[in-house]
Amino acid sequence: MAKVLVVAEIKQGVLKSSTPELLSKARAIGASTAVVAIGSNIESLVPELAGAGSDTQYIADDPGLELFSAGPVAACVVDAARQFGASLIWFGFSESSKAVAPRVAAQLDAACATEINDISLNGDQIEVIRPAITNKVMQRVKVNTEKLVAVVRAGAFEATEGISGTENVVKLSPPEMDLKALVREILTDASGEIDLADADIVVSVGRGAKDQAGIDLVRGLADDLHAGFGSSRAMVDGGFMAHNKQVGQTGKIVAPTLYMAIGISGAIQHLAGMSGSKVILAVNKDPEAPIFNVADYGIVGDLFEVVPILQEEIRKIKAKQ
Amino acid sequence: MKILTTVKKVVDVELNMHVKDGALVEDGMQYVTNAWDENAVETASQLKENNGAETTLVSIGGGDNTDIIRRCYAMGIENGIHVDDPALEKADSSIYAKVLQKVYEAGDYDLVITGKQAQDTDSGQTGIILAEYLGLPCVSNVIALEVIDDQHIKVSRSGDTGTEIVELTLPAVISVDVSINEPRLPQMRGIMMAKKKKITEMDLAALGTSADEVGADAPKSEIIEFMASQSRQAGQKFEGDAAEITAKVVDLLANEAKVI
Ligand SMILES: Cc1cc2nc3c(=O)[nH]c(=O)nc-3n(C[C@H](O)[C@H](O)[C@H](O)COP(=O)(O)OP(=O)(O)OC[C@H]3O[C@@H](n4cnc5c(N)ncnc54)[C@H](O)[C@@H]3O)c2cc1C
Ligand SMILES: Nc1ncnc2c1ncn2[C@@H]1O[C@H](COP(=O)(O)O)[C@@H](O)[C@H]1O
Repeated sequence: MAKVLVVAEIKQGVLKSSTPELLSKARAIGASTAVVAIGSNIESLVPELAGAGSDTQYIADDPGLELFSAGPVAACVVDAARQFGASLIWFGFSESSKAVAPRVAAQLDAACATEINDISLNGDQIEVIRPAITNKVMQRVKVNTEKLVAVVRAGAFEATEGISGTENVVKLSPPEMDLKALVREILTDASGEIDLADADIVVSVGRGAKDQAGIDLVRGLADDLHAGFGSSRAMVDGGFMAHNKQVGQTGKIVAPTLYMAIGISGAIQHLAGMSGSKVILAVNKDPEAPIFNVADYGIVGDLFEVVPILQEEIRKIKAKQ
Repeated sequence: MKILTTVKKVVDVELNMHVKDGALVEDGMQYVTNAWDENAVETASQLKENNGAETTLVSIGGGDNTDIIRRCYAMGIENGIHVDDPALEKADSSIYAKVLQKVYEAGDYDLVITGKQAQDTDSGQTGIILAEYLGLPCVSNVIALEVIDDQHIKVSRSGDTGTEIVELTLPAVISVDVSINEPRLPQMRGIMMAKKKKITEMDLAALGTSADEVGADAPKSEIIEFMASQSRQAGQKFEGDAAEITAKVVDLLANEAKVI
C-alpha cells in the first residue's frame, strides 16, 4: 500500500486548506496517511491535523522554526518521511514548498515533480500530470523511482467531507539551524489581510489602474467582497504592490471561486496563475485584450468608471440576499 | 569572487504550441534564452562591474546553444562552457544537476546563480538540487542581492509571508526571480566581440563523468506524453453603457454563476 506523507501548510498558526485536500486525495487512492507539521507553537493543531484525515502526526515544534528556513524544514520532512517509510511526499503549493521539495527529493534520492495537477497510481507505477511551457501544454510524467516528492497546484484536489484520522503524535527532534543561510528577518506585509492562496474571491489589479489612487479604488472593491487582493507583475514592478501579492507564473497560483481581473491584459504568465479559477470576470477598456479569451464575463470599459458601479451593484445584490 | 551562471535554451513561450500524437510539434518553434536565466546573467554581470567578480556561464543542451552563449557574452559574461552529449537528450532536473555539479567541481566557484525556473519545464528545481548535491547553502526566488564581504552575501527572497532577508556564507547557490533586475540588451559592440570569443565545448567524458554516473541511463522521471492544455472558453463579453452592462454582469455573477 502506498504511504503518503503530507507536509502541513501552516501560516501564522493557521492550517491551510491544502492539507485536508491532499489528505483527502491520499485516502481516495487508498494510501495510508501521515502528516508532518513544522513550526513554532503548532502542537495545538494536532486534533485538526488528525481530523483532516491523517493517522500519524509528525510534529516538529521548536522556537528555532519560527522564521522559515528551507534547510531545517527539509530536514524535518526527511526525518518524518524516513520514519513513516513514505513513498509519496506531498506539499501544497507555496513558495516555501517550492524551496523545500527539491531538497527533500535530493536527500531521499527520489523523483521530484512540482506544480502537479493530478497523480495516479497503477500498482507501483506512479504518474503525474502537470502543466509546462508556461501552462501552454500539459505533460504526463512517469516516475521511475519508488519515491516521489510532489508539489501540488492550488485547487487540484478537493477536500472530502466527513473523513477523519486518528491522533498518533510522533515528536521530531528539532533540526540544526542552517548557519550558512541565516534568516535574519522576514519583512511582512500588512497582516490581517485575506490570504490570496485560500481566498474564495480574488480581486487583482493591473497596470490599467495606473497609480496608487487607481489601486486604492480596486482595493475598495476587494474589501467589499472580503476578497484577497492581488495584482499583475506590472504593478509589483512599479513598486505599488508587494511581491507576495503577484498572481502568475512567478507569483501566486490561485484558483478561487471568483477571480476578478481589473485592468489586466492577460499575458500568458498572468494566465498561468489564475486560469484554474472557477469563474473569471475581466474589466478592460480594450475589447481585444487577451484576458477576455479566458473570462466567463467580460466588461469592456474604463475601470475608473466601472469599478464604482460594480461596488454599487454588488451592494444592492447583497442587500437583497 | 568567481561566479558560475547557468543558462538554458528554451522554446519561445510567446508563440503558439501545438501537440500531436503526444508530442510537441517542433515545426515553427523558436528557441530563446530562458527569461529567468537572463536575470541570472544580469546579476553576474553587475557583480563583475561592481565587485570585480569573474563570470562563467554553463549551458547544457544541443549543438545550437552557442548562439545564446554568445548573447550572454554580449551581456557581459567572460567565459562560456557548453555541455553537449547525446546521453542527455531526455535529462530531468536531477541529471542536469549532476552535470552542473561536475562543472562546478572542475572550477572553483564562490557563487552559482541559476534562474528560478526554466520556461519549458516550469519546474524550479535544478539549482536547489545542485546545492544539495554540493552540500552548499541555497536560497531560491531571490529578488535582491548585496555583497557583504568576500565570504558573505545578503539576499532578499520573496517568500510566502513577506520578504525574507538571508545572510549566505559562500560558496553558495542562489536562484533568481525576474524581479531582481532588468536584463540589459546586448549592444552592437558587445555582439561583435562575442562572435570571436571562445566557447569551451565539453561532453560527459570531457567532464570526467559518464551517462551512468549522472543518472542519464536511468532517469528518475520521464515525460511520456504531451497533451493540449484544457484551455478555457471565452464567455460573454459586454460592451456599451457602463452602468447597464455592469449591472447585467453583477446580476449574472449572482444569479447565473452564483459566486457572489
Ligand atoms: C519570465 C516571466 C515571468 C512573468 N511572471 C508574471 C507573473 O507571475 N504575473 C504577471 O502578472 N505577469 C508576469 N509576467 C509579466 C507579463 O508578461 C506581463 O508583462 C504582465 O502580466 C502585464 O501586467 P498588466 O496586465 O497589469 O499590464 P499591461 O499588459 O500593460 O496591461 C494593462 C491593461 O490595462 C488595460 N487598461 C488600461 N487602462 C485601462 C482603464 N482605464 N480601464 C480598464 N482597462 C485599462 C489595457 O487595455 C491593458 O490590457 C512575467 C513575464 C516574464 C517574462
Ligand atoms: N540544460 C540546462 N543548462 C543550463 N542550465 C540549466 C539547464 N536546465 C536547468 N538549468 C538551470 O536551472 C534553472 C531551473 O531549471 P528547472 O529546474 O528546469 O526549472 C534554470 O533557470 C537554469 O538556470
